[in-house]
Amino acid sequence: MKRLTISLRRQLFATPADGIISVGLLALLSWAGWGVLNWAINSAQWLVVRANAAALTIGRYPEAQEWRLWLLLGMLTSLAGLSWGRLRGASGWPLNDRIAAGLLLVLAVGVPPLLAFGPLNQIRVLFLLLILLLGRLAFSHRLSQALSKRFGDWWALIWGVAYVFGLWLIAGGLGLQAVRPSDWGGLLFTLLITSLTLLLALPLGVILALGRRSSLPLFRYISVGIIELIRGAPLITLLFLGQNLVGFLAPNGLAPDRVWRATGVLTVFAAAYLAEAIRGGLNAIPRGQFEAARSLGLSNVHTMALVVLPQALKVALPAMGGQCISLLQDTTLLSIIGLFDLLGIARSVLANPDWLGRYAEVYLLLAVLYWCSCAALSLGSRALEKRLASPGLQSIPKPQ
Amino acid sequence: MNATKQLMIEAKGVQKWYPNGFHALRGVDLEVNRGEKVVIMGPSGSGKSTFLRTFNALEDYQEGTVVVDGMELNNDLRNIDAVRKEVGMVFQQFNLFPHLSVLDNLLLAPIWVRKRNRAEVEQQALALLERVGIAEQAHKFPGQLSGGQQQRVAIARALCMEPRLMLFDEPTSSLDPEKVREVLDVMRQLAIDGMTMVVVTHEVGFAREVADRVVLMDEGRVVEIAPPDQFFNHPEHERSKRFLAQIL
Amino acid sequence: MPVPWWRDNRKLGWFIQLAAGLFLLLAIALLLGNLERNLARAGLRLTLGWLNQPAGFDIAETLLPYRASDSYGRALLAGFVNTLRVVVSGLVLATALGVAVGAASFSGNPLLRSVTRVYVELVRNIPLLLQLVFWYFAVFLSLPSADQALQLPGMQLAKSGIYLFGADLVNGELVGGLRLSLELAALLTGLVIYSAAFIAEVVRGGIASVPLGQWEAAKSLGLKPLQILRLVVLPQALRVIVPGLNSQYISLAKNSSLAVAIGYPDLYAVAETTLNQTGRGIEVFLLLLVVYLMLDLVISVVMNAIDRLVRLQER
Repeated sequence: MKRLTISLRRQLFATPADGIISVGLLALLSWAGWGVLNWAINSAQWLVVRANAAALTIGRYPEAQEWRLWLLLGMLTSLAGLSWGRLRGASGWPLNDRIAAGLLLVLAVGVPPLLAFGPLNQIRVLFLLLILLLGRLAFSHRLSQALSKRFGDWWALIWGVAYVFGLWLIAGGLGLQAVRPSDWGGLLFTLLITSLTLLLALPLGVILALGRRSSLPLFRYISVGIIELIRGAPLITLLFLGQNLVGFLAPNGLAPDRVWRATGVLTVFAAAYLAEAIRGGLNAIPRGQFEAARSLGLSNVHTMALVVLPQALKVALPAMGGQCISLLQDTTLLSIIGLFDLLGIARSVLANPDWLGRYAEVYLLLAVLYWCSCAALSLGSRALEKRLASPGLQSIPKPQ
Repeated sequence: MNATKQLMIEAKGVQKWYPNGFHALRGVDLEVNRGEKVVIMGPSGSGKSTFLRTFNALEDYQEGTVVVDGMELNNDLRNIDAVRKEVGMVFQQFNLFPHLSVLDNLLLAPIWVRKRNRAEVEQQALALLERVGIAEQAHKFPGQLSGGQQQRVAIARALCMEPRLMLFDEPTSSLDPEKVREVLDVMRQLAIDGMTMVVVTHEVGFAREVADRVVLMDEGRVVEIAPPDQFFNHPEHERSKRFLAQIL
Repeated sequence: MPVPWWRDNRKLGWFIQLAAGLFLLLAIALLLGNLERNLARAGLRLTLGWLNQPAGFDIAETLLPYRASDSYGRALLAGFVNTLRVVVSGLVLATALGVAVGAASFSGNPLLRSVTRVYVELVRNIPLLLQLVFWYFAVFLSLPSADQALQLPGMQLAKSGIYLFGADLVNGELVGGLRLSLELAALLTGLVIYSAAFIAEVVRGGIASVPLGQWEAAKSLGLKPLQILRLVVLPQALRVIVPGLNSQYISLAKNSSLAVAIGYPDLYAVAETTLNQTGRGIEVFLLLLVVYLMLDLVISVVMNAIDRLVRLQER
């Protein structure tokens, strides 16, 4: 302990300039920190958050159908737990995992009462956490290694099926009562739109990237045109276009729901940016790979699908991860065109005269939620990179 | 594809210009018989690699004809695909697929191109890896192998398609000197087993031992074709003598 | 034997393009047909004449003199000038802050390094729009009235605006000096803090790309850290930094359009109002697209010129 303070003191006060900076920063940080804490405990009114927790998380989803969302959450947490266990393998519980588990426990026990969840919901949250940790335990245990490995090939398929099943749970139809897209809102809506957009934008992005590199001039120019046009326009103008002008282009004013229009625009937008990231990956693949594949007799399609794209996507993974995070943040713009994503709901809550002036509380909560989601995506992307790296394969560092 | 045809490669008057105008091949002729081993040598820029790569359509040409095992290599996609199935190539840079294991590298083409059953190809692949001496590396990834080992995998990968002709484009030029030998040994054994081979290389020892004929190219033309004894000891042309003086 | 076209290496590409091109033209013709029909039905044929009609709406703040009776064209121009105001000052401020933070991440002081790290990680993971509404609603709108204005070195902060370069309290109101509306101030604050974080990362990447040997050689010559940075490292780092800055600047220019969310009348906001009044969706959108693309182009051209300058100097 003493050595720590001595080394800290030496580093923080190495030169007089350093000393001034350190003192200044410490003073500033403590003043700001004290101010925030003081405000958070004394003058802030957190009732606004507690009263609107439901709206913020799921929008106007009918209360009677909420059990479907809990079911969905249960399914996702069990899959997440199993995936976590699989990623860790048989390494037991390293420090990071134990910290994470502890943190989650504290959050699961402490936050629901703060947000005025009823006792039933508090128990549900705790139950979900247990499922997560059990899943983690189950798949990391020595005895289930063989089972976990056999699942390995089907993992993507399992997640895919779960996703489609989840969509059905949310939207309804075919046996379940339908819930219209305009009733989806809040965090649910944000996460749903982000994941849906990403899934649709990925293949589109691959197509655009391939088109950009095509030897056929028509496809090359069209791809470049689309990509540059979209990347040059502010997202809000494109969303605007989607909302207002699709009606003009469609026959007889037949236009899809506003939510789907916005999703379409976001998809094309994300695809253009993803295309650039994927193109970077494709450019990194040496020509020899193409030549070796062709010389073995593999067709163009086979060469792309089996040899080039797998490598290119792995190289582009850091950049694509960055795009995911940007996409999540871009969903906030949906609030400007009147859709009820997390920010949109927050603003409508704040427009309610009951909650006038409670901006700081609500926005701070949102900041925490978004930050945690983006940080989780960041960590997930890095974990995925490590998992997919073939031994001995060097990946190109993320472009600045 | 007449199986009793003796001529494996028949190239006549091949001319190639690169898009920037450079005249890479200026009317090249060559005939390679079934089971023959031909070594192509020459200074850099002579067009020897370019010529080799016309045999499996990795390079196109503007004039002349190239016929491989009775199939003419022209614009016909069907011909090109058919030729590539029967011709194997080994590159200077190995070009193994780094995201696949050694075994999967070998299995990829037979499964997807020849539509064969995975289990039986696997048996064949393992036997091939045994033949080139790296059976125990089957489940490793290319990034974990040395250069010499990677090139041997590359040879096995090409052989797994059961080609009738093997092309080698400076297979040992990227290897450390100690590793050159192990690859040449594999190629030597391949020659003994009767494979038709065309090899672009600087390895004079290999040429002397294995080649049936040596072809010297310079500035896009064939200068001299002769059996190794004659070529290395009593070359006919001035340019051959100059070339040999440089490398011997 | 002539090769049929679907197997011909050279011809196949052209045939595919021909087919695709025809299909595309068909699709476009179809969409344009719908467009024409729907526009005609709404009485809105494509034209730019309406730009001369009086706008009939006010713009909260303009550098360009403007009245509600001026034309739509003038209104859009005023909005564009507002956008330029934000973009230019934003670029300058964000670059200054970003370079400072980026350089500070290499400081010998661990506290300073951690603070910069926290700043970047915090700001990058929170959506810009959220930051903007936070600054505007939660911070700037809760400023005290003019007679109790917040005093900071060189500026005074009050409900009526941000006053720079000396302003005097007259009859309970602040007059004189340079006044920034709350909207502009909040927009600038949010944009600058957000963009600076990304610029800091670009600068950091650029400095990190300079080999360690350069630092060591300069240090052994007796140069101080700040001098090393200025004279040896930064010039070399610029090679990597300038292209990165290009994309960040373009992002900033595009992000300025979020002004509509906090009531600052930039080009997009004025355009939206214009659209709501005239219904001229297509023309307005095309106008917006062209202007923003031009802005991007200008930024790229300037950055490319700087890039060449930086590279020239190194020969």
